[in-house]
Amino acid sequence: MRLLLALSRSIDTLNDQIGLRISWALMVAVVICTGNALLRYTLHVGSNAWLEIQWYLFAAIFLLAASHTLRRNEHVRIDILSGRLPKRAQVWIDIVGFTIFLLPMCFIIITYSVPYVRDAFTSGEISMNAGGLTVWPVKALIPVAFVMLFAQGVSEIIKRVGFLAGMVDASAFEKQAPPGREQDGPAASHAGRPGDIQ
Amino acid sequence: MSAFLIANIAPVMFVTLVIFLLSGFPIAFALAANGLLFAFVGVHLGLLEPSLLQALPSRLYGIMSNETLLAVPFFTLMGLILERSGMAEDLLDTIGQLFGSVRGGVAYAVIFVGALLASTTGVVAASVISMGLISLPVMMRYGYDQRIATGVIAASGTLAQLLPPSLVLIVLADQLGRSVGDMYRAALVPGLTLTLLYAAYVLLISIVRPAAVPALPPEARHLREPDGGSGLASLGALLALAVAASYAFSHYYFTDPARPADEVAIYSASIGILLAFAVACANRCLRLGLLSRMAEKVVFVMVPPLALIFLVLGSIFVGIATPTEGGGMGAAGALVLAVANRRLDWRSLRQALQSTTRLTSFVIFILVGASLFSLSFRGVNGDLWVEHLLTSLPGGNLGFLIGVNVLFFVLAFFLDFFELAFILIPLIAPVAEKLGIDLVWLGVLLSINIQTSFMHPPFGFSLFYLRSVAPAEVKTSAIYLGAIPFLCIQLIMVALVIIFPGLAHIKGAVDMTEKIELNIQAPLNPYAPD
Repeated sequence: MRLLLALSRSIDTLNDQIGLRISWALMVAVVICTGNALLRYTLHVGSNAWLEIQWYLFAAIFLLAASHTLRRNEHVRIDILSGRLPKRAQVWIDIVGFTIFLLPMCFIIITYSVPYVRDAFTSGEISMNAGGLTVWPVKALIPVAFVMLFAQGVSEIIKRVGFLAGMVDASAFEKQAPPGREQDGPAASHAGRPGDIQ
Repeated sequence: MSAFLIANIAPVMFVTLVIFLLSGFPIAFALAANGLLFAFVGVHLGLLEPSLLQALPSRLYGIMSNETLLAVPFFTLMGLILERSGMAEDLLDTIGQLFGSVRGGVAYAVIFVGALLASTTGVVAASVISMGLISLPVMMRYGYDQRIATGVIAASGTLAQLLPPSLVLIVLADQLGRSVGDMYRAALVPGLTLTLLYAAYVLLISIVRPAAVPALPPEARHLREPDGGSGLASLGALLALAVAASYAFSHYYFTDPARPADEVAIYSASIGILLAFAVACANRCLRLGLLSRMAEKVVFVMVPPLALIFLVLGSIFVGIATPTEGGGMGAAGALVLAVANRRLDWRSLRQALQSTTRLTSFVIFILVGASLFSLSFRGVNGDLWVEHLLTSLPGGNLGFLIGVNVLFFVLAFFLDFFELAFILIPLIAPVAEKLGIDLVWLGVLLSINIQTSFMHPPFGFSLFYLRSVAPAEVKTSAIYLGAIPFLCIQLIMVALVIIFPGLAHIKGAVDMTEKIELNIQAPLNPYAPD
């Protein structure tokens, strides 16, 4: 069990590092998007490659941050009923859910996406727009992201089993308090949810 | 057993989904797992071709390459950064002073600022929290009724869901296959009407129960002239000057009558605002003493939000930018504004980026889950089952509209708009289109309805945020009761849009639906006409 917990910790660290780093891609996307729009309307120049790189970044952002979001337990749940259950029951639901929902789902998507990426790679597929980018790197994000998610699912199961065995504190997998509120009062970021979901 | 399953697989799948969702497991994965489970059941029972699952990666690829959804992180980042720029605080303080002398003045200020913030940040939490922290204590101190004070704040915060550039409208436009720009244009009039209805409610209270919404006493109004005057005359003169300038500009510059009215309005209004800003700047820098303190302050706090509104929405409406580009420029503009106000450091920028990334990830993953669900739901002809259910409602189109709205209103107690939009809209949209209902109009109607999901006691998030910042003497029951009149206003607005469809109708909406469809033939179709 100790070995498993160590494995879980390294998965968490790796996915967190990737998820946090990838958020800078958003900054890059903002700059590219603004630059594109300004250049097009002032100098009337534009390129499909620069337009496409935006959604490449977008895909990278949401796919590669998914496991980090799972680690922070920020994927939306409907906890109206389950929120009333005792803590251990909720943990059991999660263990069952990760095992029969998440892991098979990742496995199936990985299985089907690997040939999909291989086809794009061997055929040297280029996007349909003139001057477009090579497609396989962005397609390769699908299996990469779901392998990360699979690993995160395993890590979440280990932590919850550890909790049931009394070896792990619940804070290891519970949603953290919204950051930033303590230090700068009123307008502090509220976990950054414009939709504001549970 | 399997015969029953074959005949009823769509309803069974739907019920299973409800159970999966209520289990409290993350929605995105519950949806995806349900879709895949029934894909295998379907293949096993001979209802589906095994090749169906090969469409999985291209489904995902379709979501990744969706440029409309790129607007989601852009507008979110813009909202989070603006939250730091101190704009909300400045606006609430100044506008509260401006309207303070009228009965119900602070309440009007909250509604007005709520609408302004909605058109810039689009972040419900940000609006509600800043209004709860700044305006609620003021209203409490000067004797406002708790229920009215909290209701106004909670409701005005949710305007961000309806007024462009709202995320709801982006997501709905994507799901309905309509352009985001059209959706924004159509939502503008209902959004403003709703704002006016809120204000009308405050007006009604100020007539019926004046003690519930008192005016601020003179000592509470600190933004005054040295001689004690209010300085309103000066502000009025400046406003008149700006309006005259815009009018003259629209009259003499745009002589071509073929120009669309919204374009003329956007350019002329920009001229008026620029002029007012120039006068205020000149007054401050050269110490001319032409303007009262009030007038100068109002101009300076109003310019940043108005500039952003014109930059983002103006360029989208005029057609200079796509909504995605508008979002990107808005985020860049918000960064500039926050840096200019010295409210942004690396740490908070990093936090804003990370929060936005996580939000984007969980939102898009719900869409990923929903699209895996609909892949097999459509495969087993679930769409025909839903169509059959909805078209068999009595009363034709009106029956359909009422049925759908009641369904959304009830579900909004439990679900949030992302789930409603991703799971239900794809099922309802094709039926509505067959009935000849304008999908842009339907989208706006439903977003007014979905807005209530923030105000429903006891789970409404607007109420929840307000509770977290409200002083202890404000009772939770007051917050819940205060929301009820605004829920009724929301329903009145839904009824108004149904009775007067022209409110949310625009001419020449573009159909953005991709005409390429996956054609999967199921061998057995229990709902086909014989």
